[in-house]
Formats: sequence, structure tokens, C-alpha cells
Amino acid sequence: MKKLMFLMFALVMGFSASAQTLPDVKIENQEGKVVSIREVIDGTPMIISFWSTTCKPCIMELNAINNNLPDWLEEVNMKVVAVSVDDARTVSRARAMTQGQGWDEYTCLYDKNQDLKRAMNVSLTPHTFIVDGNGNIVYSHSGYTPGSEEELFEKIKALK
Amino acid sequence: MKKFLLFLGVALCATFVVNEASAQIKAGENGQVSIALESNSSYYLEDKTLEDIGLIMPDKRIRGNFGSNDYLKVDYNTGKFSAGVQVEGYLPGLYGYDFYEYQQRDSKLTAFITKYVQWEDQNWGVRLGDIYDQFGNGLIFRTYEDRALAFNNALAGARAYYNFNNMVNVKVVAGMPRLYDSRTKNAIFGADLSLSLSDMIGWYNGMLALEGSYVGRYQNNVQEVSYLTEQKLLNMVSGRLNFETAGFTLRGEYVQKLNEDVFNPSLPAAKGNVISVDLGYNYKRFSASATFRRQENMTTPSVMVPMGNGGGNMINYVPLLTRQHTYSLANLNPYRGSSVHTGGEIGGQLDLYYSLRNPKVRNKYWNFHANFSMFNTVNHLNAYTGEEMKGRNVWLDANFDVERQWNKQLKTTFLYSFQRWDEEINHFDSPEAHYCASHIFVGDVTYKINKKHSLRFEAQYLASNNYEGDWVAASIEYNFAPKFSFYVSDMWNCEKMDDGMYGNDYTSLETWESDHYLLHYYQVGASFTHNSLRAQLSYGRNRAGYVCSGGVCRFQPAYTGLNLAITLSF
Repeated sequence: MKKLMFLMFALVMGFSASAQTLPDVKIENQEGKVVSIREVIDGTPMIISFWSTTCKPCIMELNAINNNLPDWLEEVNMKVVAVSVDDARTVSRARAMTQGQGWDEYTCLYDKNQDLKRAMNVSLTPHTFIVDGNGNIVYSHSGYTPGSEEELFEKIKALK
Repeated sequence: MKKFLLFLGVALCATFVVNEASAQIKAGENGQVSIALESNSSYYLEDKTLEDIGLIMPDKRIRGNFGSNDYLKVDYNTGKFSAGVQVEGYLPGLYGYDFYEYQQRDSKLTAFITKYVQWEDQNWGVRLGDIYDQFGNGLIFRTYEDRALAFNNALAGARAYYNFNNMVNVKVVAGMPRLYDSRTKNAIFGADLSLSLSDMIGWYNGMLALEGSYVGRYQNNVQEVSYLTEQKLLNMVSGRLNFETAGFTLRGEYVQKLNEDVFNPSLPAAKGNVISVDLGYNYKRFSASATFRRQENMTTPSVMVPMGNGGGNMINYVPLLTRQHTYSLANLNPYRGSSVHTGGEIGGQLDLYYSLRNPKVRNKYWNFHANFSMFNTVNHLNAYTGEEMKGRNVWLDANFDVERQWNKQLKTTFLYSFQRWDEEINHFDSPEAHYCASHIFVGDVTYKINKKHSLRFEAQYLASNNYEGDWVAASIEYNFAPKFSFYVSDMWNCEKMDDGMYGNDYTSLETWESDHYLLHYYQVGASFTHNSLRAQLSYGRNRAGYVCSGGVCRFQPAYTGLNLAITLSF
């Protein structure tokens, strides 16, 4: 078991640097229109965060980012894309929640049948990606512990 | 256990090889490969306390002490083309998933492979292989995967769509649905049309769309179920209206089955229908969302069989609409629907959100949320006695929660939930209701000691005069961001109910009088995260109960054991 853990650790350390680009997947925007996820690429580095109304750490993470955002924006140009993976059952609740939580600067998208989640190989939420201005995925992180948003900011700053 | 290590070894080697290959491919800019691994395993330990009161898993002696659900997914993408494969291993499967209960083979070890090739152009796309898609809200067609339920009903077939200037979108699908570890011999085919009227007339201050779908199911096994219905072909249609402007949203859908169909073989074959209305409104920091839905005979199986065949046997999606709680005591007895026994349901839910904050001060705010839902059965004939049954209330809940961020360090959450349900309907279609109710109080405090260290404490109390009596729960979590997290929790049924009428499904008659209501359900665990690797190890006793995901529930038997969950992606 120890060897296995070691092997896994070595694999992760060795191969997490490889870059991917955002896949071309259709997704609903705040108005309910179907758009391609690639439309978010506009030269601005971004945090893409997968969340759902039933995932408490996801909401904690998005709130923590929201708390820090004005400070971060003073240092770098960036944006936040919040992708809800709520299905037909809770998607209306998700739409209501994005309004009621004060996520004013966020680009909110709705992945009702988890097509983007599948395409980006997200198994568990929260799962957060750092994507550069050209749509290359430079970093990803799964799970949330209070304070881990600082790491996201460091990665965004390192993009310059 | 050996099999699991072997699987993990093979999966990691495959990950390694593919990653090497992908690095090569990337260097030549010929495309990219991405890989994801998810593994959930449990080692079931002896627990005399659980066994003495009859809470043992029914087939533990046959299946052994180890279970593992594993998924390895590899995708390749170059320009508009992509292809992928997913290997699922159940070595054997974990307890409490329909997948294992209903699988076709006798062997302990099960593997299943899904695959696809896809071309995604600007205005059109084609996909062959395993198809995941839905029409509208999925009321007549939805194929998807939910690993928390080990659910996957992907269609093996084809899908194509064409989009004309965002005004007209046409989609067609056809294929054979997956049922647990096999493919059914039935054919599903359908078409979906969406007209964006707002784009047609050039109205850009909002959205107005008309949509319609057709889905057919052709059944090859009609001999086997001819006493249920002679019908080989089931036709279903759906019409939808989506409207949105200036913070106001209206979504309506009407669905009709044109032929008779049956899911629970005890119920008579009938034509199903649904009416569903969704209203939304938001103004500044206030938002509201309300849903009304009436449905009758809408559970649509991929295969009509005399035995029913469990929750994985489904081609559409009619989820439960009640709030899914994240706190354990609020989630102790979730609503799990009444339509399996009674054929239908009518009800709705309402959500209100309000955030009180100064936009300039991010570290101080109040978030308020209120939620209410109510569901009744519809008038119907009792499947067993033929008696006329009046619709009655089977679920009612009201929830209120408030979250307060005091400053950079401190955040508190308080939740109150009232839940009342008819316990009879969870077992039979009885003429008399037996209502059980609980009041749940939750307090949750997160304190950030510094940028990396934080502490979270949670206390819960459930007060009830019936069902299982009172419960108390607490948990402590210590986090070292961004890599480590540790937690300890306990859930304790602190009050013994003398009548013990409505205990666990797995409690046998003789043990109803026993002390099992005073059990502790403890958990201790740790998680490690590095980039996209997450590993969580936990040990504890798990209560028997319903685990719900996306409005669909499965029954989890009680067990004490060690769990390891790993997710990894590149």
C-alpha cells in the first residue's frame, strides 16, 4: 500500500504540469441561452469553479473568492466563472442562489446534464481550474479547505 | 482487496502510459489526452452491536468484506474531433447500490465499458457510442451518470444536432439504453425542436422560446410482460415554453404519454402526464424561485419487466423536488417520493434568498434563505385492494437558514428545519396516514486562525415525539489549507422510543424492542489534496438510511468500516 501511495504521489508530482485547453462544450448562460464554454475566453485569466446547490464546500469556496475579489482585482486582471452542475431539479434554485449570494462579478453558467463536467473530467465538486487568457488550463484543484483560495490567487498571479 | 490493488495498479500504469503519450502528442500539437480516475472502496468490519440488533447486511456472507466502485476515464481531443472510453470496475460493488442488486451476472466482479466518438462543429454536431443527453428538463428523456447512485443509463447509439442562427435547434437521438451491467434490447428514439422566438423577431431584452419533443420506446420483450400491456411501442410528447425578461422567469412544460405504460408491476398500466411550472424573480439582492408539478404514471422504465428492476431502470427524469440538506440530521429522513406505490404526486416548493451586505465591504454580510415544500398523493385506485384512495399530504417541510460572515476570521450558520411526513406511504399504500415530525436545529461555526489554518465546529439537534425520537450530533474539523483536513463526528440517537413502530427497514420484528435507538454513529477521517488528486480515508459506523443525489435516492444498509476515496485527473 505504501509503495502504491508513493507511486501515485510520484505520478501526480511528475505530470500535473501538462496543459490542456478548454473543450468545446455547449452550456446554458444566466439567461438560459445555450452557448459554447469557449465564449468565456477573452484574453483575461480566469478561475472556473464547478459547484452545485447541494455542495456546501463549493459555496464556501465561491463565497471566499467573492470576499477576496476586490483586493485581487487591484493586483491582477482576472474573472471568475461559476459553473453549476445542478440538474433540472435544482437548476432554478441555483439561478436564484447566484443572485441572492451577491456574486455580482461572476459569470454564471449552468451545466444541466453535466456535459462540461464530464468533458473536463470533474469527478467531485468543488473542482476549480485556472485558465489563462488563451483558454489553456494551467492548474486544477479538487476539494476546498478555508484558505485554499489563496493558492488560486498565487497561480493567477504567476500567469503574468 | 487484491483485485482492488490490482485495479488501482493497472489504472495508474494506464494513467502513466497515456500521460506519457499525451505529452508526446501535445509536443506535436496533434491533440490532447485527459484522464480521470475515481475509486471508492470500503472494508467492512465486524460490528457486534449492529449484528445483535439485526442490522447486518443481508448478503455479507456471500459477498465478503470488501467492496469497491472504480472508474477510469480517458478522453482524446483534437480540434473538432474527440473520442473517449470509460472503464468501470465493481470489485465487487459496494453495498447499497441498485447496480449490484440487479446486475445480470452472478460473478462477484463486474466490469463495464462505455465509449464514444464525437464531432463538434460550429452549428452542428454528431456523436456515436454512449450518449448522454436530455430533452428540456428530462421529463420524457434523460440519459446521465450519477456515481453517488452508481446510476448510468447511457444510450448506445447516435445523436446529431443542427443549429440555425440560434433561431432553430433540432436534435435527434436513437439507441439502446444501458441497464446496470448490460444493454437492453429495447430501442429508444426521439427528436427535440427548439425555436427561439426572441431571436427570430430580434428582441434582445429577454428570451422567449418554444420547444417540443417526441420520444418513443420500442419494446422487444413484450411476451414476458403481456399481462401488463400488449403495447410494443410507447410514444411520449412534451411541449415547453421558456420566457425571461428583467429578472422574471417563467418555464412551463406539459408532457403526455400517448400509450399505456407501467413501472411498478403492482400498479395498473396507464397513460402518464406531467404539468410543471417554474417561476423565478430577482431584484438586486433578493431572489425567489417557485416550482409546481403534478405528475401521474410518469416513471418510465427502459425495460418493462414483471419484477420492476430498481431505480436504474429509467429513461426519463422525474426527480423529487424537496430541498436536499447537507447537514446529517436534516438529511436523516429525506422525502423519497410516493409515486412508486401510488402512481402520482402533486406539490411544489418555494425558495427565497436575500443577502444583506454593503458591496464595498466583502467580509461582513448576512445571507438569508427560506424554503418550503409540500407534496400530496393524487386520487388513485389502491394497487392491492382496488380501493379508491383520496389524495393526501405525504410530505411537508419548512426550512430557514441564515449565514453571517462577521469578519475575515469568523463565519456562523444557523439552520432550522421542520419536516413532517407520512411514514405509511414509505412502505405501503395504506388508507390511514401516520404522520411523523421532526424539528432540526443546526449551528455551524468556522474560524480562520490564519491564512492556512482553520477550525470548523458543527452542533445539531433533532427533536421528535415519534419515529426514532431525539438525535444529537456534533463534528469538529481542522483544516491545513490547501492540502490537509481532519474531522471527527458523532451522531447519537439519544432517546429511546417505546413503541418503536417506525424504525429501520432492516430491523426485524423481534428486535423492535431493543436498544438500537441508542446507538452512536461515529466517524473519523482525513483528506489529502494535491492539485487534482484528492484522497480521503475514513473510519466509522454508518446508519442505515436513504442516500439521495439529484432527487433520486438509494437505500444504504448500516455498516461499520473503513472507506477510501480517491479522485485524480490530468
